[in-house]
Amino acid sequence: MRHAYAPRAATAAMAGVAPPAKRFYHERVIDHYENPRNMGSLDKSDPTVGTGLVGAPACGDVMRLQIKVDDGGKIVDVKFKTFGCGSAIASSSYITERVRGMSLDDALKIRNTDIAKELCLPPVKLHCSMLAEDAIKSAIKDFRTKRGGSLVSGTGAQPTVPQSIAA
Amino acid sequence: MLSDSAYYEESSEALERLTECLEDLGDQMEIDDYDIEYSSGVLTLKLGSKGTYVINKQPPNKQIWLSSPVSGPERYDFDSTLGAWFCRHKDESLGALLNRELSAALGAKITMPIE
Repeated sequence: MRHAYAPRAATAAMAGVAPPAKRFYHERVIDHYENPRNMGSLDKSDPTVGTGLVGAPACGDVMRLQIKVDDGGKIVDVKFKTFGCGSAIASSSYITERVRGMSLDDALKIRNTDIAKELCLPPVKLHCSMLAEDAIKSAIKDFRTKRGGSLVSGTGAQPTVPQSIAA
Repeated sequence: MLSDSAYYEESSEALERLTECLEDLGDQMEIDDYDIEYSSGVLTLKLGSKGTYVINKQPPNKQIWLSSPVSGPERYDFDSTLGAWFCRHKDESLGALLNRELSAALGAKITMPIE
């Protein structure tokens, strides 16, 4: 992963040409990059864990976000691993901070615009915040699918009770 | 699914047309801190205090990606039958979105040369 200290500007200056416009990462992005929150993994096979995997290596960004949900439908643990630029790492790190302790429904309400605003992402990096929103949605969808396919809001779905056959 | 060469043609044409139109627009209208640049498949449109649009090719997905200061990020796939770039979420074409948002931003009826 590269650090964003505008090395190209120095090279251009030495060559005697005007340096290209500098592009810096916001200090909040650097903070998440250097001190990522909740980096790691949970047990994918654990029935209380939902795993979201979004992005594509060819595009340059891949995010894996995992949530552990209690019986009350609350996110009690969350881990992420991201391959990508500083903004992608910060977006996923930040979203893990946000969702910890939230209900699944509240976590679904997080918008990429909230993330972009918090991290002061530049226009070209808004896609990273969108990916983080996709990641949490994907993790929640995976959790709910594992729990019986119910996509209704509320707590983790109860296993469906077989209908009694009319006598 | 678009072939690589078809994707290259369609996306290049769309971005080149947009660039030309937006350059003309900047000349015609007097907009503070207006800037338009197209290089390496990335079109950057600055509208001063109204924000910055970034529209770029995304070859691995054969898409065009948009970053709008109004509506945020969006991704567009080419629809061969309609000859336009569409986003799945809102079922709106890139041309339609730009017409709508730029008209609102500039206070005049703006029509982009793409569907």
